[in-house]
Amino acid sequence: MIKQIFGTALLLVAPCLGARPASIEILPGDIVLSGPASSQQLIVQARLAEGREQDLTSQASFRSANPKIIKAEGGVLLPLADGSTKLTAEVEGVSATINVTVRQFGQPLVPSFLNDVQPVLTKGGCNSGACHGSEAGKNGFKLSLRGYDSEFDHAMLTRTAVGRRVTPWDPSKSLLLLKPTLTIPHGGGRRFAVDSPDFRIIAEWIANGAPALDNSDARIESLSVFPEEAWLTPEADQQVVVQANYSDGSSRDVTRWAKLSSTNSGVATVDDLGRVKMQGPGEAAITVWYSSKVKFARLGVAFDHEIDPSIYSNAPRNNYIDDRVLEKLQALHVTPSENADDNTFLRRAYLDAMGALPSPAEVERFAVDPAPNKRERLIEAILGREEFVDYWAYKWSDLLLVSSRDLNKSAMWSYYRWVRESVEKNTPWDQLVRQVLTSSGNSSIHGELNYYQLHRNTIELAENVTQAFMGIRITCARCHNHPLEKWTQNDYYQFANLVSRVAQKNGTGAGDVVVYRSPSGGINHPKLGKPLPPRPLDGAELALDGTADRRQHLADWLTSAENPYFARAVVNKIWENFMGRGIVHPVDDMRASNPASNEKLLTALTADFIEHKFDVKHLIRRIMLSATYQRSSRSNETNADDEMYYSRYIVRRLPAEVALDAVSQVTRVPTRFSGYPEGTRALQLPDTQVTSYFLTVFGRPPRINVDAAEREHAPTIKQALHVINGDTLNNMLRDQEGAIEMFLKLGLSNGKILEHLYLSALSRYPTNAERKTLAAALDEAEKETAADALERDPRRKPLEDLMWAMLTGKEFLFNH
Amino acid sequence: MFRLDDQKTVSFCDGMRRRDFLHAGSAGMLGLGLTDFLALKAQGAVQKDKSDMNVIMLFLVGGPSQLDTFDMKPDAPSEIRGPYKPLKTNVPGIEISEIFPRMARHADKWSLVRTLHHTAAAVHDTGHQMMQTGRLFQGGLNYPHIGSVLGKLRGPKGDVPPHVLLPRPIGNTGGNMPHGQDAGFLGKAYDPFVLNADPSEPNFEVPDMLPPDYISSMRVDRRLKWRDMIDDAVKHFEEVPDAKLLDTTFHQAYTLMSSEKARAAFDLTQESDDTRKRYGQNRFGQSCLMARRLIEAGVRFATVNMFETVFDEITWDIHGSSPFSPIECYSNLVGPMFDNGFTSLVEDLSRTGMLDNTLIIATGEFGRTPKINPAGGRDHWPACWSVVMAGGGIQGGRVVGESDEIGGAPKSRPTSPGEIAATVYHSLGIDLETQLPGPQNRPIRVVDHGVEPIMELFT
Repeated sequence: MIKQIFGTALLLVAPCLGARPASIEILPGDIVLSGPASSQQLIVQARLAEGREQDLTSQASFRSANPKIIKAEGGVLLPLADGSTKLTAEVEGVSATINVTVRQFGQPLVPSFLNDVQPVLTKGGCNSGACHGSEAGKNGFKLSLRGYDSEFDHAMLTRTAVGRRVTPWDPSKSLLLLKPTLTIPHGGGRRFAVDSPDFRIIAEWIANGAPALDNSDARIESLSVFPEEAWLTPEADQQVVVQANYSDGSSRDVTRWAKLSSTNSGVATVDDLGRVKMQGPGEAAITVWYSSKVKFARLGVAFDHEIDPSIYSNAPRNNYIDDRVLEKLQALHVTPSENADDNTFLRRAYLDAMGALPSPAEVERFAVDPAPNKRERLIEAILGREEFVDYWAYKWSDLLLVSSRDLNKSAMWSYYRWVRESVEKNTPWDQLVRQVLTSSGNSSIHGELNYYQLHRNTIELAENVTQAFMGIRITCARCHNHPLEKWTQNDYYQFANLVSRVAQKNGTGAGDVVVYRSPSGGINHPKLGKPLPPRPLDGAELALDGTADRRQHLADWLTSAENPYFARAVVNKIWENFMGRGIVHPVDDMRASNPASNEKLLTALTADFIEHKFDVKHLIRRIMLSATYQRSSRSNETNADDEMYYSRYIVRRLPAEVALDAVSQVTRVPTRFSGYPEGTRALQLPDTQVTSYFLTVFGRPPRINVDAAEREHAPTIKQALHVINGDTLNNMLRDQEGAIEMFLKLGLSNGKILEHLYLSALSRYPTNAERKTLAAALDEAEKETAADALERDPRRKPLEDLMWAMLTGKEFLFNH
Repeated sequence: MFRLDDQKTVSFCDGMRRRDFLHAGSAGMLGLGLTDFLALKAQGAVQKDKSDMNVIMLFLVGGPSQLDTFDMKPDAPSEIRGPYKPLKTNVPGIEISEIFPRMARHADKWSLVRTLHHTAAAVHDTGHQMMQTGRLFQGGLNYPHIGSVLGKLRGPKGDVPPHVLLPRPIGNTGGNMPHGQDAGFLGKAYDPFVLNADPSEPNFEVPDMLPPDYISSMRVDRRLKWRDMIDDAVKHFEEVPDAKLLDTTFHQAYTLMSSEKARAAFDLTQESDDTRKRYGQNRFGQSCLMARRLIEAGVRFATVNMFETVFDEITWDIHGSSPFSPIECYSNLVGPMFDNGFTSLVEDLSRTGMLDNTLIIATGEFGRTPKINPAGGRDHWPACWSVVMAGGGIQGGRVVGESDEIGGAPKSRPTSPGEIAATVYHSLGIDLETQLPGPQNRPIRVVDHGVEPIMELFT
């Protein structure tokens, strides 16, 4: 089966192979080779029609302008002597040229422990968690996990086991060479072969006296990946090259020592040498980890659809969102869905922006409103509604963990009131978070201080700040450098030290605390046994003994426009609220190795948000106005499988609170929450500890952890059992003061009732067919019921059943 | 080799005849007491074939220490061997920890694999993934739990869901990764039915199993019919997995409601006080009891999570310091809890003969450091641990694999999580070549190519 697919695909590709490319490029561009052992994998990247690219390295011929300085063999560039020259690659008569410089060719090779030996040990898996990198080491030999502590590792290798691991006077006797080559037994098997490049690096290092780390060692600063982004032909092979850039300005090819993995193995797979094989249509990121740095290459193959380019040029574009989305759809060969009709848009806009259904009157008004800008006006009106404030106060309360689980009632209320007031005032997001972090005083007056009451311990506080406000999880780095991300243990404890001087004492009232700045205190780095200078992730360090307010420094850095995570994280969350899926998914997993499905879109939205001073309403307006948001949820022939590029509106179940409020709105029966006045809507609850089986079973988050997965969206059998048999919906239907009672008292005809129900529950008129069949069904049911002499009103039960059917159906329970 | 979407070759999916038989079979089991069942069995009325194999997986969340449970090293130095003494079992040569006295009397019915190990990061979550799905999650692929695969391949048996998770899913265990406890790429329709309640609580019942008195069955039918009529307008939602799932869950709910036998399976009050005590009057013990009742009622795979998290709860995760657990909890709490739950299952299922077609597997996500740490506990150690299996074709009284003198690494016959998964599939009679529909319908084998069951346990 698979072979067949591959076979046909290959036939389709074949003509491309012989085609003359429009142009070619040698990656990674101009090259400097330093030292006799340096080398560089080359990529000859061809540009084909329609923005497609192809790796033609294997078909290219290379020519050195000065063959005494360099040579290119099998796509690998090698130095021969110091000097500068040019390298030209040619395919099918198309050529490209780069400058190449060779330095220090005559100097003896002295591998550095930090930059040469450690990468070999890491790539070989020697210091992995399963081998010597484990907490207890292996067979008495321990290395730091993935080489994050080079000083420790150097000491382990050179100063323990009475120098048997490394014997500079006779390198070949070193256990460090004998074991991994299986020359003598090794529990971990063969890691590299005798005389392999890896072997030679370690042997040379030992022969040179196994030098320790040196302050003059260049430090790695960043990674570059080539090609960084490319749309390829189906089934294409593509070489990926990883380049490390150092503090001394040098760069070198580290592809063979980097750890590479694919985020979507159905689209692309990658081997240890950076050779990528495209497996199917779509996009995949090739994640690269090297020496605690992370980067990725984004490679894609378009879907096999023939699409007229005019579809994209004619598609509605209301703002830059549409440009960025259509650009991606065009590259993927996916067609966007049609514009949604007015009724659908109205219902969707109400539910997404304020968690409520439009009333029948609002539906009717909107339907007949002739104004061409009525959608725009509707959005403006929604942004001014009380329910909008309820909805967003609820949403941010999820993020800030407002709950009486660990706070007493009055503290919970003061916390919630602060959140709600902030939403009401549309406090810019940076200021809102700044207040959370920098406030001092009594928590009954400054409700935001309850954030500190919830996170009393420095570790929890540090981890919560990074996850809630940046979508970054740094927990792994608490015990060791993050194995797959760039965060080191030092980063972690420097960051935690920023929040180590917050103190609290009991306030005057029950449950109040007074939060104040403590003049001293610090959190110890567990291995060093002392605190490190406080420093935000990637930010500027404060002096350990300085008197600057550490929280202020944290807030300055966190909420700054330059912070690459802060605005981006909340923008992604707000986008998800409207579009059903974060551009980075899941929304609270913004780590470097989890790429955005449309990076340009997220970058543009973030820039817009920052430019408009972190104005949440502005961002919401921008999203809702886009043609992208206003698309139909109905798929077309090309986009049925699209869940991440926003070619259509994603159909999704109403959140627990929204579903309950909607049921209550349609039945006109308020939900009764113990301890809250009648008429309180679920979205007005400040607290998730309020008992409601309906909310629990429909996935209300408990607000224990900042984790987007706390809220559950999937339908379950227990939800079905509850709406079928449970007392929430059934009691609302039976209520003697609800909508049904009103219909009966007013003596409305079945036709009129149907119309009202369709408008209130589904925000549309019933079709003629629906009117006819359902009215007939109701009439018949009434006759049957009337035969029972015990029935008070023969119309009542059939109407309850009709309403049940409407409120449990997909059209009602899903936003679409 | 066959594929799910190729009707002709799916030998076990040709459904009706077998399902009817099973339906009758399971119905027979349910209403009957143990004695009746034994009588029937003696008459040969209870037949078995491989399509009627079940699994109860006891997931020992936290990661039991191999050295304090099933792989004792009494001759090792004290900082290795730990505080517990070995206990002889009823099979000569097999010794386990003194914390499992009841289990020790039934060693002829269970077997051990002492060389399980994995090489992924030593965090709980990776082990949860591998032990429940057979694989580490990579390349954006979330593999399905074995029970979900079983549900996908064989569908429900009778009126109960094929895959049930008791009492609650595994929550946060520190790694923020998926735990491999759902259907993964198979789609949420194959997620387990999750109890989400504590069956040891005095007034425990599964809520909403029956319509209230004021809704007659005529009305239930009418509601359902009208619901379909109204939803006719959004037929195109069928292509949305969650929307389709909503209808599936309604269908499953009606099936549960309309089956008295299915409902009874969740009702522990139908068991005697003695039986309930024997399993242990705690969340794990009563969940084991419920697992037995569910399997008897037609559930194919029941997962029982011994704990939900490893923080601020006494579990197998004995780091020795807060918020984790101390090593002493093995003898005074966690050990007895497991001993009662596991042994009662073995006793009851072997008495009814159902042990022959029900595999019981008990495993954690990794072992623990051979050397006791400064806090008096043991830390994570995926390099070697033990798993217990009984029934489902597994021969009792065996030990597969031997660890080194400190229980730190396999010495002979190393085994992997994938091999355990393959062993479970083998017990279930599922061909290891079976392919599942992955993302974009990419075929994905139930276990990786070349991974084989541990045949020493069967023959």
